[in-house]
Amino acid sequence: MAKKAQHTATKRYGMVIDLDKCTGCGACMVACYSENNVPFREDESDKMLSLNWIQVFKVDNQKPFPDTEVCYIPKPCMQCDGDHVGHPPCVSVCPAVATDYDQPTGIVSQISPRCFGCRYCMAACPYHARQFNWWDPVWPAEMKQYLNPDVSVRMRGVIEKCSFCYHRYQKARNKAYMEGRDEIPEDEYQTACAEACPVNAITFGDLLNDEHEVHKLSKGKNAFRLLERLNTNPKVYYTTTKDWVRRITDNYLENETPGDVEKARKAQKASH
Amino acid sequence: MTTPAIPEGVERCSTRKFTLGLAVAGAVLLWGVYAMFLIWFKGLNQTGMNDAYGFALWIWADLAIIALGGGAFFSGFLTYIIGRKELSSIINYAVIIGFICYSSALLILALDIGQPLRGWFIFWHANVHSMLTEVAFCLSCYFAVLTIEFIPLVLENPKLNRVPFLHHLSHNMHEVMAVFAATGVFLSFFHQGSLGGVSGVLYGRPFAFREGLLIWPWTFFLFTWSAAAVGPCFTVLVTWLTEKITNKKLVKQEIFQLLGKISGWMLLTYMIAKLADTFYWAMVTAPSKGFTLMDFYTDNPVYGIWILIAELVICGIVPALILITRKGRENNFLLAGSMILAVIGICINRWVMILQVMAAPLLPFQDWFMYMPTWQEVATTILPVAYGVILIMLAHRYLPIFPQEKELNPGS
Amino acid sequence: MKIDRRCFLSLVIGGAVGTTLTPVPWKLTDDIAIWSQNWPWTPVPEDGPSKYENTVCAMCQGGCGITVRKIKQRAVKIEGMSGHPVNKGSVCPMGISSLQYLYGPSRVKSPMKRTGKRGEGKWEKISWDDAIAEVSDKLKELRNQEEPHKVACTADSDRNTVGYLFDRFLAAYGSPNFIRTPSSEDANELALYLAQGRNATVGWDIENADFILSFGVPLMDSPDSAGRMFSAYSALDEKAELVQIEPRLSDTAAQSKRWIPAKPGTEGVLALGLAHVIVKDKLYDSDFVKNYSSGFEDSEDEDGNTRKGFKSLLEDYSPASVAETTGIDKAKIITLARDFAGAGRPLAICGRPIVQGSVDEALAIHALNALVGNINKKGGMVAIPEPDYLGWSEMQRDETASKGRQQPRIDGAGTDRFPNARHLLHRLPEEINSAGDKAPLQVLLVAGGNPLYTIPDTEAAKKAFDRIPFIVSFSPFMDETAEYADLILPNHHFLERYEDIPTPRGYAKPVTGLARPVVDPQHDTMHTGDAVISIAKNMDEFIREAFPWDDYRDFLEQTFSDRWKSLEKEVYSVRKDFTPADWEDAFDTPSKKYEFYPTSRQMPPDSERDRLPACRPLEIPGDGDSKELPLLFVPYVSVRIAEGAIANPPFMTKTVDDTVIKEGEVFVEINPETAKENDLSEGDSAVLKTSSAEARVRVHLFEGIMPGLVAMPAGLGHTAFSDYISGKGENAYSLLEAVSDPASGLNTGWGSRASLSRA
Ligand SMILES: Nc1nc2c(c(=O)[nH]1)N[C@H]1C(S)=C(S)[C@@H](COP(=O)(O)OP(=O)(O)OC[C@H]3O[C@@H](n4cnc5c(=O)[nH]c(N)nc54)[C@H](O)[C@@H]3O)O[C@H]1N2
Ligand SMILES: Nc1nc2c(c(=O)[nH]1)N[C@H]1C(S)=C(S)[C@@H](COP(=O)(O)OP(=O)(O)OC[C@H]3O[C@@H](n4cnc5c(=O)[nH]c(N)nc54)[C@H](O)[C@@H]3O)O[C@H]1N2
Ligand code: SF4
Ligand code: SF4
Ligand code: SF4
Ligand code: SF4
Ligand code: SF4
Ligand SMILES: [Mo]
Repeated sequence: MAKKAQHTATKRYGMVIDLDKCTGCGACMVACYSENNVPFREDESDKMLSLNWIQVFKVDNQKPFPDTEVCYIPKPCMQCDGDHVGHPPCVSVCPAVATDYDQPTGIVSQISPRCFGCRYCMAACPYHARQFNWWDPVWPAEMKQYLNPDVSVRMRGVIEKCSFCYHRYQKARNKAYMEGRDEIPEDEYQTACAEACPVNAITFGDLLNDEHEVHKLSKGKNAFRLLERLNTNPKVYYTTTKDWVRRITDNYLENETPGDVEKARKAQKASH
Repeated sequence: MTTPAIPEGVERCSTRKFTLGLAVAGAVLLWGVYAMFLIWFKGLNQTGMNDAYGFALWIWADLAIIALGGGAFFSGFLTYIIGRKELSSIINYAVIIGFICYSSALLILALDIGQPLRGWFIFWHANVHSMLTEVAFCLSCYFAVLTIEFIPLVLENPKLNRVPFLHHLSHNMHEVMAVFAATGVFLSFFHQGSLGGVSGVLYGRPFAFREGLLIWPWTFFLFTWSAAAVGPCFTVLVTWLTEKITNKKLVKQEIFQLLGKISGWMLLTYMIAKLADTFYWAMVTAPSKGFTLMDFYTDNPVYGIWILIAELVICGIVPALILITRKGRENNFLLAGSMILAVIGICINRWVMILQVMAAPLLPFQDWFMYMPTWQEVATTILPVAYGVILIMLAHRYLPIFPQEKELNPGS
Repeated sequence: MKIDRRCFLSLVIGGAVGTTLTPVPWKLTDDIAIWSQNWPWTPVPEDGPSKYENTVCAMCQGGCGITVRKIKQRAVKIEGMSGHPVNKGSVCPMGISSLQYLYGPSRVKSPMKRTGKRGEGKWEKISWDDAIAEVSDKLKELRNQEEPHKVACTADSDRNTVGYLFDRFLAAYGSPNFIRTPSSEDANELALYLAQGRNATVGWDIENADFILSFGVPLMDSPDSAGRMFSAYSALDEKAELVQIEPRLSDTAAQSKRWIPAKPGTEGVLALGLAHVIVKDKLYDSDFVKNYSSGFEDSEDEDGNTRKGFKSLLEDYSPASVAETTGIDKAKIITLARDFAGAGRPLAICGRPIVQGSVDEALAIHALNALVGNINKKGGMVAIPEPDYLGWSEMQRDETASKGRQQPRIDGAGTDRFPNARHLLHRLPEEINSAGDKAPLQVLLVAGGNPLYTIPDTEAAKKAFDRIPFIVSFSPFMDETAEYADLILPNHHFLERYEDIPTPRGYAKPVTGLARPVVDPQHDTMHTGDAVISIAKNMDEFIREAFPWDDYRDFLEQTFSDRWKSLEKEVYSVRKDFTPADWEDAFDTPSKKYEFYPTSRQMPPDSERDRLPACRPLEIPGDGDSKELPLLFVPYVSVRIAEGAIANPPFMTKTVDDTVIKEGEVFVEINPETAKENDLSEGDSAVLKTSSAEARVRVHLFEGIMPGLVAMPAGLGHTAFSDYISGKGENAYSLLEAVSDPASGLNTGWGSRASLSRA
């Protein structure tokens, strides 16, 4: 069974988001709120006080009418592998180990009852993927009824962030275990946002498993990651055919192009 | 006959005047305490912080007052370890100022966490890789040391000193003070450094990130060095202010000049290292991540390039050069002025290493993030000042802090 | 024992040290931390076995199949139902958010009777028996006065059972005033009726087209049928081309391969310009035009007069003149026409948002489809017949009913003035406010829609409502209209009720969906179908007999008869026997052909127009005033902002950017050039003035909008529902004026001349 070899115990769950497909509809955000018991407030217009495990940015190419183009960039937690594996920017800074890198899956966890709200992780994350519960969460009227029992509700004063719907992984893993399987098939563990995306712009799976679609997509020639030059090594990839989008998803000096920088990085990686 | 509470042979202001002063400082203190309880009961939504600005005024205040409180450890180091015995004329005051600074920092830290009731997790569930863990441990230990250094001073109050047990305790503690001072120095090197590490390790934040030595980024060493350089300036400035207010000479001018000289050389060496660090960061570290120096500064008034010039030149090189020249030091105006500049410089440094880090956008399509502290934050940041004033008032009135006071004010 | 100071001190110090050495403080510290991890005010959702149940979403007309995840009796998540033919597993943000309405604070929890002044918000709970009696008595009284035609009812659909029940009730009772709430479907339906002679809705077979020419249809922006539209879009062939004609770089335009910003309101002219090129270059389907159409060439009518044909009409629409009108380059028009006609399966689609739309514009765009011969073809424009299950026994009517039913409609639809139109809700205020002393409408039953929010010029609408003595709302939510009603008979939420959902707007196959109860009613509400049946049972004999069913459920089962079981199980049924009619049988016009010149079209007496779809740029209120009002205000829609049926739930509002709403204020989009001319910059507060109203807004600069336009999202500015919904931005519709299309009466008031100045 040659196939079996690649079914290593270690997974690196990741995403590939096709920016050419994303229409900015927001279904991923809403699906995430609903799946993960994300609270809401009367006024959510201050985006720096609004809990969004995935946020969709609207960007444009800054060209005058009618040469303008726009693109939407959905941004969950990048689930960074870090400058060396297991060392995402946010994890090693947490003084109380309330956030950790899960070696078997590569998922960066966030444990709200352990977190004491120092927000150092938030300062460390370059993607603003971490958000703070500035208020006690409130569900008016009977809205508590719709809360998902698989995801605990966070209290005031702690950090929260995208978990790659870890509870869904746990469910899939338990199911596989009960059925005597070691392997979780691609379709048994999908995140709520990927599932909800009505145009299938989000693909989710194990980046290491060549049977999973993300494996191939993440290696495509148009694949890239946000702020790759910071060495955060995200496991969320993006694809686009638009050069201007590439250019505004990382920082480049005037004389640099995304292509050259990527080539240099790959060469450097190979030489290590 | 009852023993007077005021140390023998020195003159203090009238009880009325003293009470009035206490009342003013107390009112400010109460305002701060009110804000403090608001924050504890209602949560951090009482602040102007947000998800971009997770660290803000308080963390800056922490970093700044700890740097300034560095006068305690560095004077201790000079007095007990290097053996500059003449500094014992100011060491008591340095300890008190340090004590105020550190207790304030701890209080602010207790405010600045979303779940204060779980604050102790930092010790119990400690992650040894986190700079904040290092800070918490060293800070608490050093605070304990400062407390131990402070106790014998308190016991020297004439009334307390009459209790034989306390008298002996005080005496014995004095004997071993060098040991504590040495411990304090050691701890201080670490936590001052860890505070520098707090932002220096953030490799996702190119404005803050620095390469370094072993596990410590260069900011680790720069912070220790700068605290050692400027802490004594702050001690001198506070002493000076006390002199002005009490209208009395408390410490000999030579001591000020001596500390000025040491600070000057420390500051100069620090500036050389800091300039090298800035240069390397601007020319190598930041460009490797696609940033130019000017990407970190913007045309809005708060985050302009002026801040870099102010920190490095006006409040760095200039005071250093003044302080290392004898002429500069002997001119009281220049001495005080350059010490003030140095203190401002260190505060700017701590400010940019926290607030500018938060403000600078990383994704090219994002804008600079803005933050405005609320009155609750301001009040709780001023609270330590009021508390410091009160403690100094009490200490100055009831404790024999300045050994040279009698000698310098023979008339009274 | 005397406690001296020293003793006291040692007690205190000793006590402190002692306590520290015991476990007490440590245990306490731990307990406090544990308490903070289990704050009683932070909810812990109850766990239990989870179950998935299918139903059909009724948050809009999209008819998506959804799967509801339940934990015991709680509905906790809405997901797309895989395998459902309409949405194929997709859902939109609104569908997912529907639980916030089910359990949210804006529900009306029981029947309510107004106690304070109208709109004051003072209510008294009453029993269902009393509520039904209250309505019945009022209706009986009116009938006794021989004025049954002074009752009107608004409903969302005339193609489902609830709509039919109301219409049947009005028929038996004696009123002609069944008013369907307006939508872009109105113009399309009318155009289809005129050109093809069928009472049918328009289906666009987008899934199978390879060149989609969209005249401003917000495919990717519209909250309408988003589930279907997104799944259709993502299934499109890579090579399929989407062309978007729209003055603003909407999300649809952003996804298109070609974005052509025509001057707003000139889409119909452009369509005729494209037709001109297609005809001139002989690129049309000559078989269709020659054998299955009429009115293409000039002809003679019965009176022997020469009648201009469609081809002659097109002479006025040369690329040069169309370029002038639309602002699109002449060469671009010619290329577009050729590419469209040359594509394998081209499809031209229309559906102006916010309004019913211009029938001429719809006819012109339908004509493009006729020219390329895609009528009723794969990837083309398909006529979707009315549901086949909605036919019941004839009923007996008394004289009062017959007489009343024959009175002219209150909205003027079908009268001499607007002979072709069927529903003209926007005209209600005008008719009521211009009537003399006697109120022309005595009772309004609001069984669908939220007219007080959505009728243009909210002030005029309010004035009209003040003149209706008795308003009944059947809304499950405390919306603006319910707030202003005299009596509320709250319906169940759609997850608590059965209801048939007709073919979604624009979907190219007839499907019937069935919403079915997934959770028990959370409050003391009643199915509106049951309410109608109950009211009918309280009325005179003839009416009672027209409603022989025990209840709505019984009625529904009888209606679907042998199909009921499978429908209840599958939640949808696709009409198996349906294939789009061959051209041979497709058309039921007088000529039995596709009529480029719709002979059955009646023109209003004072109209100087012909029956041909001669398009002119749409009328814009305030046009004469271009100095005072130099800009053009257009509302736009966003899939993140529900713009009609039901206000934006909190989850959706949470997704809205801070360049759209900020601290309760709405931003208008303008081009940086327009900003400069008006001395405005990003974020400025400004006053937006239109021909009819003004509002305070903020300014957002966007390169992707045509200079001279001011765009604002529709769907904001609610004043009712709940604190989470109201008080955000401005109601775009209150800034518009209704414009009755001179040719049809349909509302085409999609924009207004405007000015924008710094506040
Ligand atoms: N959840 C939910 N979904 C709904 C509804 C709801 O209430 N809730 N309502 C439903 C209803 S009733 C409707 S009608 C639909 C509306 O949906 P649709 O009929 O599908 O259209 P809109 O989504 O309103 O489209 C708005 C766009 O049209 C452009 N536009 C403005 N003026 C012009 C013009 O003159 N010409 C052209 N070509 N474009 C113009 C604007 O720039 C804007 O981008 O949504 C439906 N969907
Ligand atoms: N501001 C603004 N005005 C508009 C538009 C816009 O985009 N913005 N769009 C225009 C367009 S395109 C249209 S089609 C019209 C649509 O306008 P309407 O049909 O008048 O209004 P909706 O807002 O769709 O009204 C739906 C109301 O029905 C209630 N409702 C929901 N479910 C039920 C139910 O089961 N039974 C009953 N009885 N009531 C229920 C809800 O409380 C909701 O308030 O509005 C037009 N006016
Ligand atoms: S995106 Fe931020 S929160 Fe997520 S793993 Fe990376 S650094 Fe941590
Ligand atoms: S806020 Fe919580 S998770 Fe973040 S670093 Fe502090 S304790 Fe750790
Ligand atoms: S992966 Fe799950 S937790 Fe993360 S954004 Fe998507 S839905 Fe939310
Ligand atoms: S759901 Fe899909 S299309 Fe919609 S915003 Fe999210 S990623 Fe984009
Ligand atoms: S498109 Fe309409 S029917 Fe479909 S999920 Fe959204 S709201 Fe429901
Ligand atoms: Mo509509």
